[in-house]
Amino acid sequence: MDPMTFSIIRHRLFRIVDEAVITLKHVSGSAITNEGHDLMVSLYRADGTLLMGGVGFLHHLTSAAEACKSIIRRFEGDIHEGDIFLLNDPYTAALHTSDIYLVSPIHHEGRLVAWSACFVHVYDIGAVNPGGFAPQAPDIYTEGFSSPGIRLVSGGEMRQDVLDTILNMVRSPEMVTLDLRSMIACNNVARDRMQSLMTKYGAEEVDTACAELVRQSEDLFRARLSELPDGQWQSRQYLDVNGVTARVNLTMTKREDRLIFDFSGSDPQSPYSINCTKWASLGGLFAPLFPLLCYDITWNEGVLRPVEMIAPEGSIVNCTRPAPVSVATVGAIQSVNNAACSTIGKMLGASEKYRDQSTAVWHANHFAIFKFGRNQKGSESIGILTETFAGAGGARSFADGVEIGGEIPNPISRMANVETVEAAFPVRYLFRRRAPDSGGPGEFRGGTGGELALVPHKAPDGGIHYVISGKGARHPMSEGLAGGYPGAPNSYVWIKAPEDGANAPVTAAGGLDAIPGTQERVSWGVYPLMGRDALYVRWNGGGGHGDPIVRDPDAVCRDVAAGLVTAQSAGDIYGVVLNDGAVDETETQAKRKGIRSARLAQEAAE
Amino acid sequence: MSDQDRISASVAVMEGQAVCAACGQDLGLATEPWKEHAQRREIPLAQAGGPAFDTGHEGVVLRHFYCPSCAALLDTETAMAEDPTLNDILASRG
Ligand SMILES: [Zn+2]
Repeated sequence: MDPMTFSIIRHRLFRIVDEAVITLKHVSGSAITNEGHDLMVSLYRADGTLLMGGVGFLHHLTSAAEACKSIIRRFEGDIHEGDIFLLNDPYTAALHTSDIYLVSPIHHEGRLVAWSACFVHVYDIGAVNPGGFAPQAPDIYTEGFSSPGIRLVSGGEMRQDVLDTILNMVRSPEMVTLDLRSMIACNNVARDRMQSLMTKYGAEEVDTACAELVRQSEDLFRARLSELPDGQWQSRQYLDVNGVTARVNLTMTKREDRLIFDFSGSDPQSPYSINCTKWASLGGLFAPLFPLLCYDITWNEGVLRPVEMIAPEGSIVNCTRPAPVSVATVGAIQSVNNAACSTIGKMLGASEKYRDQSTAVWHANHFAIFKFGRNQKGSESIGILTETFAGAGGARSFADGVEIGGEIPNPISRMANVETVEAAFPVRYLFRRRAPDSGGPGEFRGGTGGELALVPHKAPDGGIHYVISGKGARHPMSEGLAGGYPGAPNSYVWIKAPEDGANAPVTAAGGLDAIPGTQERVSWGVYPLMGRDALYVRWNGGGGHGDPIVRDPDAVCRDVAAGLVTAQSAGDIYGVVLNDGAVDETETQAKRKGIRSARLAQEAAE
Repeated sequence: MSDQDRISASVAVMEGQAVCAACGQDLGLATEPWKEHAQRREIPLAQAGGPAFDTGHEGVVLRHFYCPSCAALLDTETAMAEDPTLNDILASRG
């Protein structure tokens, strides 16, 4: 086909996705969509295969393809122009019940020519706990409404009976209506723009370009794989819930132009809702693969073809019904993301050509805290602490990770302003800042994560409650590379105010220990934030790269001055001695020599 | 594999052998687990990286793998005591 037309069509497909995302955000009213960018929009071909992956949470690109294929199978012969289908069953295609897919067939001159699909994390799904993450759910039946496929819009008309049935099962039905309508608007825009594209260039011409685009992605990805060395790389992730640890084990093998992700040896499915289904694992490994290996290749079916996944049935990465999965996106799926990011980072580091693109693991551990309760305006509110999306960058082979730098699986993730949260919830932040020593030490340091503390403020009920499904308080999860340390683990602390003490200070520049009260670690379940108590959260930094004792001492000095590394770690981990805020070069050399000797003395002792 | 490939930024390849990138110390065949030729040490997590790594829980360690010649830190692993070493190997290309 004419290369100019091909390029124009390709570019238009990008823009269609972008415009659909903007529409989604304009109609949606929820912080998790607008502030956290917990969303995704993509285009699919007539058979449901991925055509143009959009931005947002990338682990949805392949799962939404399966959602389209599943709708095609279920409604064969009964799919009409203007229909929109809803699917959120994790055992069919979805990641968890609260990430609802709305998939929309796109017709041109009466013929089904493509699909658009999008998701948002809806305000509530009617699970045992508010907000969708349900640490108290023992099975899928208690994780809220779930459908393997239902027609929500028929020929452009909302099926009010279906909508009312869904809304009858959720908290805050008005907010869930807005979520669903934002996705309908998004799909409508994608459909309209695809139809105009086909009217302008002809459906056959567009389809030819789409087929070529898929072929091009496959060719480019296979060529890239061929350039990388053959080998085998391993990684492991630990997820702790209530003292029980589950493992996700990965061996990634690269042979010529093929890549195999083998999760054999991962632990059996958990009684807790951190499990994920096989579609979710597949999405999980592609989430880092798209940006790390295909940053200059269109994300579509062509990228999927050279990749194979082995995920043992009944394991935490391919659980069987009715295992609970509501925490999957921040549980096993995120661990699959991390494990794949680690092995891909190692493979890139093995290649002379691609060494610069190697990265340690980014923000490996969402904390997913959902606040809920009556707010200062008297209405019931549910909302995530969007700092969970703030993340931290992994160190590269030539530079530090980005502080509070987001995460690999969602290139547009971000957090809300403090004021936005305080306007919607009866809470006040004591502080929110970069957390010292959270970035994984290394020659190049992992980006720092953050820390925050909240207290109730003008709460009609004296405070609120929150659902926390925070693992990662026992195990660091952002693994380092080439001798770099992992980022520090997460920390969740309930500070119980002294009975007769004064109010909590307005600011707590001294961090956690400056907040008066006794400290109790929390990690899984539902907890109160009442009275004068405070909630402290520290989230992980990125993994480091290289041996910390060869880090430029001036960089360590700057980190200490900026409050990113403590003086204690500067000495103990980096072997840098500071005097009056400057590097003492002689002492530093001696200190580093001492650390090396101690390492070798260790060898002699064993 | 070729001498342009590496196992990682800290472990290079020289004529099919894995070697310390800092000093050239031989670490065995690049097609076999090189960590068997490195010095391994397990540090309780609480002592591994400053107060932020002290989770209040035991049983998790940070494994260090040093070059037996120059003491460069070649790799780290978060691990529970009983879990096997993670191995990264290159394949010889036919
Ligand atoms: Zn050495």
